[in-house]
Amino acid sequence: MSGGTLALTGLTRVHGPGQAPALEDFSLDVPAGSCVAILGPSGSGKSTVLRLTAGLDEPTAGTVRVDGADLSGVVPERRGMAMVFQRPLLFPHLDVRDNVAFADRVRGMPRRAARARAEEFLELVQLRGYGDRPARALSGGQEQRVALARALAAQPRVLLLDEAFSALDAALREEMHELLADLRMRLDPTILLVTHDHAEADALADAVAVLDEGRLLQEGTMRSLYARPASLAVSRLLGGRTEVAGVVRDGRHVSPLGALALPERVADGPGVLVVRHEAAAVTPPAEGDCTGTVVRLRRRGLRALVTVEVTGDGGTASVHAELGPGEEVPTGATVGLALPVADRWVVAAPTVVPEQPASPAEEVSRRR
Amino acid sequence: MTTREAPPATVPGTPAPAPRRRPGLRAFLLVLPALVPVVAVVGAALTSALLLSLGLAPLVGEPGLSLDAYRSAATDLGSSLRVSIAIAAAATAIAAAVGLCLALAATAAIRRSRLLGTLAALTVPIPHLVGAAAMGLLLADAGVLSRLLGVDPGSWPPLVGGRWWIAVVAEYAWKESAFVALVVAGVLSSRAASYTETAALLGAGRWARLRHVTLPLAAPALGATAAISFVYTLGSYEVAALLGRAHPEPLAVLAFRLFTSIDLAARPQAAAVAVTTAVLALLVVLVALRALRNLAAER
Repeated sequence: MSGGTLALTGLTRVHGPGQAPALEDFSLDVPAGSCVAILGPSGSGKSTVLRLTAGLDEPTAGTVRVDGADLSGVVPERRGMAMVFQRPLLFPHLDVRDNVAFADRVRGMPRRAARARAEEFLELVQLRGYGDRPARALSGGQEQRVALARALAAQPRVLLLDEAFSALDAALREEMHELLADLRMRLDPTILLVTHDHAEADALADAVAVLDEGRLLQEGTMRSLYARPASLAVSRLLGGRTEVAGVVRDGRHVSPLGALALPERVADGPGVLVVRHEAAAVTPPAEGDCTGTVVRLRRRGLRALVTVEVTGDGGTASVHAELGPGEEVPTGATVGLALPVADRWVVAAPTVVPEQPASPAEEVSRRR
Repeated sequence: MTTREAPPATVPGTPAPAPRRRPGLRAFLLVLPALVPVVAVVGAALTSALLLSLGLAPLVGEPGLSLDAYRSAATDLGSSLRVSIAIAAAATAIAAAVGLCLALAATAAIRRSRLLGTLAALTVPIPHLVGAAAMGLLLADAGVLSRLLGVDPGSWPPLVGGRWWIAVVAEYAWKESAFVALVVAGVLSSRAASYTETAALLGAGRWARLRHVTLPLAAPALGATAAISFVYTLGSYEVAALLGRAHPEPLAVLAFRLFTSIDLAARPQAAAVAVTTAVLALLVVLVALRALRNLAAER
């Protein structure tokens, strides 16, 4: 099985007259055999993209093409797509094997042959021997594996994953990510997935499109998005924490952190410096690019995340930095901060700059 | 974090705390208020009918076990059984088919019909007696329909009181189809949309979705409502009495006629007919429950 090429062009969806568009002029290319993620908070329109792609909803404008063929007016069952939703939605009246054999059965394949093929797909998702079980006798992770096997057994040109792993706990999600990577190597499907989790997009996708309020904010590889977010919104959606308001002057960002050289030429004017906490490093005082006081320490497994307040010309700025494995710094300590030039990036200042930027988690929950 | 308080130590000489009630007993006590009236009314009525039919509680004379009541009612009982089962089966089959179609139309993902759903909901509270009268006015030889169609009463088919019990079956089917539709639509509206979307994306066309997804999802509710509808129709009196013919009589009509007969000796026969109806209804319920359990076991 190998997937087709998906091209979405100018997709727009307005749910009702007088309502703001749920999706506006959205274009995206998903090359054959690739996995592209649409990343966005709840209500950003990312599920709308999948529903329009699958033909479950009609776009107000725009086209969906698979291998160059326009799918306008083509009913979902003839689009050659399969979707895995957040809930597994296994048919409760069928056992696991018949759930996986469903697509072949409705295409008219004899029961015996369809079931034999279903066993192959169950083996692919490491559920050999589970065929006879009723759908409800499975755990959450197993149910989602069956849903994935059922979708793959339909041999879709494009596989759509709608927050398919969001309801699983962290360990199961990790397992599903590995399984999907394995399935990609074996079957080479074309995958379009939506998620609100940038770590999931990073783990699974070759390229990412960031969506917010129905508009495409930026697309590219996850590395490029992490390093060079197009806006503050993208930086926040990707889990960026450090936002230092200042002014760009002669290729340097001037803020309470000092005048910091930038890796690329940026037009003069107000701008917000963003630096990934993974790139910022805590150093002995006076050895870094600036010096500040540790005001907060949060442990995350072996590594800890510290918030350092730096007071300089024009006020105080907070910088977040991740410590090395096992390292700790007491709250109140004076430390230096190394902000590698290559990891500095300036984005346009929002019209109203908040005095203290909200944490990304708070930002996302506020949008909801 | 709060720590759980240690249970207070029992002071010697004070009574030990009462043991916790078993969950089974608690559940039994909770259903007792519902159970008592059912056992008292249905159980007592059935028991007295059974005793009366077996000659153990005669109105006059000495009690003695005998099947005389069943023997003397046997001739009428056979034909009544046949006509009652036929009416109940026909009405239930039509009600199930029509009710399912109404439910599908009311819950269809595309072009769902709120009007149909509302009409079905409005039909349910109309009493059968009112429904029977309306059906009589509609279908009789001098009824609304024959006048609307301009058919002479003499050449109008005997829908009311005729050989085929058409008005009776139509009334039951109409009322029960609304009941079936309401229950099945309730089940489908909460589950069917997401499953049919999934099925469509797996390549299932409209008929395949209906056959492989919607009907199996609706089956338990449809089976349960059909069983209720059948049992109700089997034991129902007023519609058959109003719209049916004089002979053969359905079970309930026969039982009522015998029970209200001036001949007191007919009372045990009435009880025999009532007991037969109850046993038949019980059998149908048991078969239906078993079938529904099998359906549930499949999931």
